Amino acid sequence: MDYYNLLTTCAFIHLLVSIPYAYSNYVENKAGQFFSSGHTNNWAVLVCTSRFWFNYRHVANTLSVYRSVKRLGIPDSHIVLMLADDMACNYRNPKPATVFSHKNMELNVYGDDVEVDYRGYEVTVENFLRVLTGRLPPSTPRSKRLLSDDRSNILIYLTGHGGNGFLKFQDSEEISNMELADAFEQMWQKRRYNELLFIIDTCQGASMYERFYSPNLMALASSQVGEDSLSHQPDLAIGVHLMDKYTFYLLEFLEEVHPASQANMNDLFKVCPQSQCVSTPGHRTDLFQRNPGSVLITDFFGSVLLHDMKQLVADVSSQKPKQKDWHPPDGFILGLWTLILLVFFQTYGIKHLKHIF
Amino acid sequence: MAAPLTLLLIVAVTIRAVLFRSSWAELISERVEVVSPLNAWKRVVEGLALLDLGVSPYSGDVFHETPFMIYLFHFVVDYAEIVFMVSPGLVFCLSRFLTSLYLFRKQKYALESDRYPADCLELLRSPKEMFYIPLKVAMFYLLNPFTILSCVAKSTCGLNNAIIALFILCTLKGSALLSGILLALATYQSIYPLTLFAPALLFFLQRLYIPVNLRRSSFWFFTLQYAFIYVGSLVVITGLSFFLLGSWDFIPSVYGFIFSVPDLTPNIGLFWYFFAEMFEHFRLFFICVFQINVFFYTIPLSIKLKEHPVFLIFMQIAIISIFKSYPTVGDVALYMAFLPAWSHLYRFLRNIFLVSCVLLACSALFPVLWHLWIYAGSANSNFYYAITLLFNFGQILLVSDYFYAYLRREHHLTHGLYLKKKDGTEATLVLK
Repeated sequence: MDYYNLLTTCAFIHLLVSIPYAYSNYVENKAGQFFSSGHTNNWAVLVCTSRFWFNYRHVANTLSVYRSVKRLGIPDSHIVLMLADDMACNYRNPKPATVFSHKNMELNVYGDDVEVDYRGYEVTVENFLRVLTGRLPPSTPRSKRLLSDDRSNILIYLTGHGGNGFLKFQDSEEISNMELADAFEQMWQKRRYNELLFIIDTCQGASMYERFYSPNLMALASSQVGEDSLSHQPDLAIGVHLMDKYTFYLLEFLEEVHPASQANMNDLFKVCPQSQCVSTPGHRTDLFQRNPGSVLITDFFGSVLLHDMKQLVADVSSQKPKQKDWHPPDGFILGLWTLILLVFFQTYGIKHLKHIF
Repeated sequence: MAAPLTLLLIVAVTIRAVLFRSSWAELISERVEVVSPLNAWKRVVEGLALLDLGVSPYSGDVFHETPFMIYLFHFVVDYAEIVFMVSPGLVFCLSRFLTSLYLFRKQKYALESDRYPADCLELLRSPKEMFYIPLKVAMFYLLNPFTILSCVAKSTCGLNNAIIALFILCTLKGSALLSGILLALATYQSIYPLTLFAPALLFFLQRLYIPVNLRRSSFWFFTLQYAFIYVGSLVVITGLSFFLLGSWDFIPSVYGFIFSVPDLTPNIGLFWYFFAEMFEHFRLFFICVFQINVFFYTIPLSIKLKEHPVFLIFMQIAIISIFKSYPTVGDVALYMAFLPAWSHLYRFLRNIFLVSCVLLACSALFPVLWHLWIYAGSANSNFYYAITLLFNFGQILLVSDYFYAYLRREHHLTHGLYLKKKDGTEATLVLK
């Protein structure tokens, strides 16, 4: 009985003592998380590979990811947006200058400040691979380059029509999963990324990441090999399907994320389960060094800057002492005024005092 | 006498108040002719802000004011405009005190008129002329555009001028103690008033009827007394400033800065251009040469003007304003305020028209060439340097002209106004 009491009291005291320790640990963990990813800048390469009006949904997919990425902080200078066709100004668009993602025109992902870097026939396999590897002609403007370094986290999003091991570009050529894997290896060798997140929304998308062999790659796909990715909703006024299911639910998930959000990759893997998507989304994390649970969504989709981080940590940690105004030291004031009084009386004489008093 | 002075004061305060509240104040406080790195208000505020953050204001190259300024402005930084309006008021007090000086001179008039040749009577000043001199001096200072600009820019040059003016006031009043203390304060603020020690000493010797003879012990006795007051108060003031911030780093920051001229921002002086193109190897040599130039004229001028210490003070202040390392228009305004006191020399001035044209033209051209150089890019620093040279040349010409006129008047007082050579023809006087 005594032993039992002793044990309970020990446990209780240990618990009490460990609470502040756990709190400081919590603080350190929170602070540590911000430094764990090791990246200093974020890039995004968003590619829509299909043209023609009936592939409206692929453009809408890419634009909704573009919107989320911009909203979470990546600037246009760090986004390479490639759209194979212009849906907003297409002559078949009954609502010109808009691209909607939800039916009944709830959300216009085209917005006011879309910057498309590669448009129309410029979206080719060669250009895409050149952008990734950086082997562009010297006359290419900066907006069309992926100027990443070895501390960049890059998000690559591809959407269009695909098959087992290939992705169709512009209805005329294809990129194979081996070419893509080799391109990523070139990027790794040239130190062009710190970590890379690859998302693909096509039919049999998982085949595209099967062949990756470079480190620090994480991949998500909307469907497994042998499955088709399905489109979500048609809008009867516009007349086409607006989005694909996977990207629609991805957009819904990303709309909840804000720059200080702590949502991690495990939450992303759960987006669009089979019940909603009909296809089975897949992911690949074996090449990635960190635990996906510790990877924040904002590590790839956002651009969390250092001063935001400091603000967050400052909130968590204790208050700084308030700054005090400087005051001259008392000795100085005393000495100064004594001297002034001395000089005053020396000049005017003590005998004048009796006139004052 | 009181009514015109009050009116003048009201007009001066109104002009300054209006300019303080207008949008010109920002513009003026950034002009390089009006503020220098030593006395810019922006730097004072920066220094006080650094102090509030717990950093020494002398770290880095921002703040070059003495600790006394820190102490003064710490309490009045919100009311700075009032402080800067008061300081010309002090100079105004000095001008009022010049009446005393000339009342003293009035007694001399009766004595002098016997001594001098008869035709010189017109050279001597009658009390009636001298009655309006204080008003004119006050007007020259308070309404001088240079002073107004300096005041609106809240440059601490105005405070330095006030201290020098108070020093002159105490000297003329005859109080050796106060004069020594104020001279020490003026020297502590910027080193150059050190040269005013000689004229102040000469004035006291004259006043106490001690002849300036190096062999006389009474001369040395008084000199040592005065020097003791001066050096003692300088030491006390420096010691007190040490206690304000607890460190000696104000010495390299203030005095080291004045002597070694590290900041080559263009101003109306001569140092910046020269040292911008100076090789490092020769820099020390030329710093010494330029700085000696300021102090060099003290001894010869004191020897020549040993019976006229008040004029010597004027000459010294002018030489300091021209040759100091970071002059501003506020310094120029100080010696220009004294010109009405020598208005009786007008008939002997030879170049006054040229000098006034040069000074006016240069003052107008300073902002123009600055704009052309910095903003339009169609001129370069040589243009601005040329105007600086011309302005300083004009000032030197002004000072030497007054010197010539003063000496010529003295010569006429002893030898008669209409000079004749031995064979009876008219003679002219030349300053050699």
